[in-house]
Amino acid sequence: MRSIRARSKVTAAMHTSRVAVALALTCAVGTVALAPGCREPLAAPIAAASPGDALPRSGGTVHFASFADVRSLDPAVASEAFGGSLIAQMYAGLVEYDFDGSVVPDLAERFELSPDGRAYTFHLREGARFHDGDEVTADDVKRSIERALHPSTPNPFASFCENIEGYAAYAGGKADALSGVVVGGRYVVTIRLETPDATFLPILAQYALRPVCKSAGARFEATWAPCGAGPLKLLPGGWERGRSLTLVRHDGYFRAGLPRIDSVTFAFQMPIATQRFKFEQGELDAVKDLNQSDFVQFTSDPRWKAYGEFDAEKEIWGESMNVEHAPFDNIEIRRAVAAAIDRSKYRKLKAGLLHEANQVIPRDVPLYDPNFKGQEESYEAALAHMANAGYAYDPISKKGGYPGVIPYYTYPQSYPEYSGQVLQQQLATIGLRIELRLVSYPAYLALTRRRGRVAISPQGWQADYPDPSDFFEALFHSKSIADEDSNNTSFYKNAKVDDVLDRAHGELETATRARLYGEANRIICDDAPWAFAYASRRYEVHHPYLRGYRTHPVWAYFLRDAWLDRTPVKALAALGLLGAPTAPLGGLR
Amino acid sequence: MRQRLARRLLSALLIVWAVTTVSFVISHVLPSDPARLVAGPQARPADVARIRTQLGLDRPIVIQYAHYLARLAHVGPTVADGAPVDPSHASCATVGPLHVDLGTSYQQRRPVVAILADRLPRTVFLGLAALVVQLALGVGAGVLAAAKRGSMLDHTAVGLSILGVSTPTFLLGVGLQFLLAHKLRLLPLDGFGRTFGEHAASIVLPALTLGIFGAAYYTRLVRDEMLDVLHDDHVRTARAKGLPERTVLTRHVLRNALLPLVTVVGMDLGALVGGAVVAEHLFRWPGVGALSVTAILDRDSPLIMGVVLVTSTAVVLANMLVDGVYALVDPRLRQ
Repeated sequence: MRSIRARSKVTAAMHTSRVAVALALTCAVGTVALAPGCREPLAAPIAAASPGDALPRSGGTVHFASFADVRSLDPAVASEAFGGSLIAQMYAGLVEYDFDGSVVPDLAERFELSPDGRAYTFHLREGARFHDGDEVTADDVKRSIERALHPSTPNPFASFCENIEGYAAYAGGKADALSGVVVGGRYVVTIRLETPDATFLPILAQYALRPVCKSAGARFEATWAPCGAGPLKLLPGGWERGRSLTLVRHDGYFRAGLPRIDSVTFAFQMPIATQRFKFEQGELDAVKDLNQSDFVQFTSDPRWKAYGEFDAEKEIWGESMNVEHAPFDNIEIRRAVAAAIDRSKYRKLKAGLLHEANQVIPRDVPLYDPNFKGQEESYEAALAHMANAGYAYDPISKKGGYPGVIPYYTYPQSYPEYSGQVLQQQLATIGLRIELRLVSYPAYLALTRRRGRVAISPQGWQADYPDPSDFFEALFHSKSIADEDSNNTSFYKNAKVDDVLDRAHGELETATRARLYGEANRIICDDAPWAFAYASRRYEVHHPYLRGYRTHPVWAYFLRDAWLDRTPVKALAALGLLGAPTAPLGGLR
Repeated sequence: MRQRLARRLLSALLIVWAVTTVSFVISHVLPSDPARLVAGPQARPADVARIRTQLGLDRPIVIQYAHYLARLAHVGPTVADGAPVDPSHASCATVGPLHVDLGTSYQQRRPVVAILADRLPRTVFLGLAALVVQLALGVGAGVLAAAKRGSMLDHTAVGLSILGVSTPTFLLGVGLQFLLAHKLRLLPLDGFGRTFGEHAASIVLPALTLGIFGAAYYTRLVRDEMLDVLHDDHVRTARAKGLPERTVLTRHVLRNALLPLVTVVGMDLGALVGGAVVAEHLFRWPGVGALSVTAILDRDSPLIMGVVLVTSTAVVLANMLVDGVYALVDPRLRQ
């Protein structure tokens, strides 16, 4: 009996060892097969077919992809920045952002401001056509604005337009029409404001109020087929939700000869690795969603350097401290945090894509002052502020400091998850201990904007429109405080700041506005409701054959001037310039 | 028999109701605001509040639940072809006067029944393809491993099955994508395709990614079950009668070893309908799995509820199907 057991043990051991050998061999084969992918060199850019000075020509389909998705193509209800960029290609506005971020006439050929600064009169281009062939008239402009601002429309942008005369009555359901929008003829429309407003034109250039075809009617309907007057129009059946979107050239576009491309396709919710594979295979013409290693590869490869470009830096991030919540109700503690953080450590987490930031305005937003010092790192000052707060800390004995542990709310799989760890280490050196609490992104949004709930959290703000008011008012004006959904996450309230921001909002003279925002910036940096940390930007790389295409200060994609100068893919494949022949379904065009 | 069937159907209904109710409560008590997610992270509080009211989220949860249940299955006007649809029933799927209303997606602003009608067939297609991979590879390797017990073939099959079970689906998918689609360019990198041929080519990678895990598990299951049955008296008798080994294995061993596999396949069939999350995301397969991730991230309660309803129903139905198949495989259970 014993010998049988011993034998079975030996057999089992032999079996196990053979399984282990088989497993090891399999792993080895798998590793050898897949390892090249870990340090796969970049494929070469696909060259343009013509010399650099070739004249632009029409035709072709451009292919893009994004990790994000588009929820709506109706300008009146769209909410996300990515979708807004696509909408901006489909709907022309009275005005548009130029490449320097300034607002220029678009569907309106000119506009003038009344002497009291309260009424903008727009003169529309005669003969501009919607995608359905109808002419764009002043009535369409008024109908579209009223449709977008009607109380039944789930427009997340509506309250940005509250300064239009009659908005309160119209949005409150007390008036049938928006009295501030006045049709003055077939091609003339005037928009009257309650008060002079420097932010009106940048807000108007956003997509929400852009004219829509008559088929949209006077009220929002989710089933309406998108139709505007922009350079690209929706291909019938060309939008598969969560998958892809195809836009084709609007032949009746009012800028003759534009756009040059026949069509563009956007693939949505595409993993970043797939995007890179497709870009290298020439199935995508440009790629924007790069992970850090891809970014380093593209920017350090001399073959690709000329075809990459950073987009505008229009997003600010920092540590938001709730001034109603201990211990950050103590200004000295907030100042200590602002002085303690080493912004270069944040930057190194995503080198090349982040800049250190120490003030409210990111550097590519108008009225950014590069000479403004803002919040400065000083370990000694941080310790002094802790002492002033009554929580002196001795870094040698590691005694003292704030006695409690402060919860820090952030969300997983995000940059703030990592920057929170940097903050944790840095604050520990001045006697502040924070505990990272990871919650889902929706929970993070809800909790950090609820009054009295969260003491400190990472917060960011991306320009809705290129103007400093968007940052100052949303984040630090007391009117942005709410018990739920407060955009002012630090619940910071300063009557002086409110007054300066209100004056800057209505001030039309640029130099005076710059001075006012400078003043607000100084007060806020000193009061430190936020410890400003970094500003982020993105990098986009495209194949050389995609010409006339450059990054836009507001829109993620701007295709009006782009053109394709590409040798047909089959010819490239025949010449062996695309590597192994692509499978029939691999996306050959 | 009828009584038993009625009992099973009633218990199935109760299970589906319990699952959907729990899901409803969870999705409504989580600290998040669907209106904020519809409006975007930077919308002003006034706009978020207006959207919250428009979505009906300002009402008490009990009222919302009662409304959901009342609309879920109700009697309404029969819709004739081409006739205008009553706006209050625009989000309903109709079978004569019977209406099923899963509500309207907060984010997509489309009826949930329409979204699921688009997505569900694609997930079922993928699930069945993955099941074919699982069964073909798993049963084949399991039978061979059992028949050649102790051989190198057996060790390789066992080794591969351990590797298959322990490899994360995401890693496996990326590896297959890199090797077969990017380097060798044998298959499309992702997508669904437009023609039958394109669908067939596009499904290979996600089906392999999904199926290899199950195949690895089935290999071990079939091998072990067969080794157990190989020692049974009836197998010894079959061999003593002089039956060829292949006949012994297929008719006397495999058939008896299949019973536990049927249970597992039944469970897998239901799970595949709702569980193909990673593969669908990675290969952009437009099914319910990818949809459910988006719905959860967006706190899109009507869509979450729709997905939960469909997947729980699929699991329950698959289990009922398994009970029926038991009887076919094992005549003793017909009693």
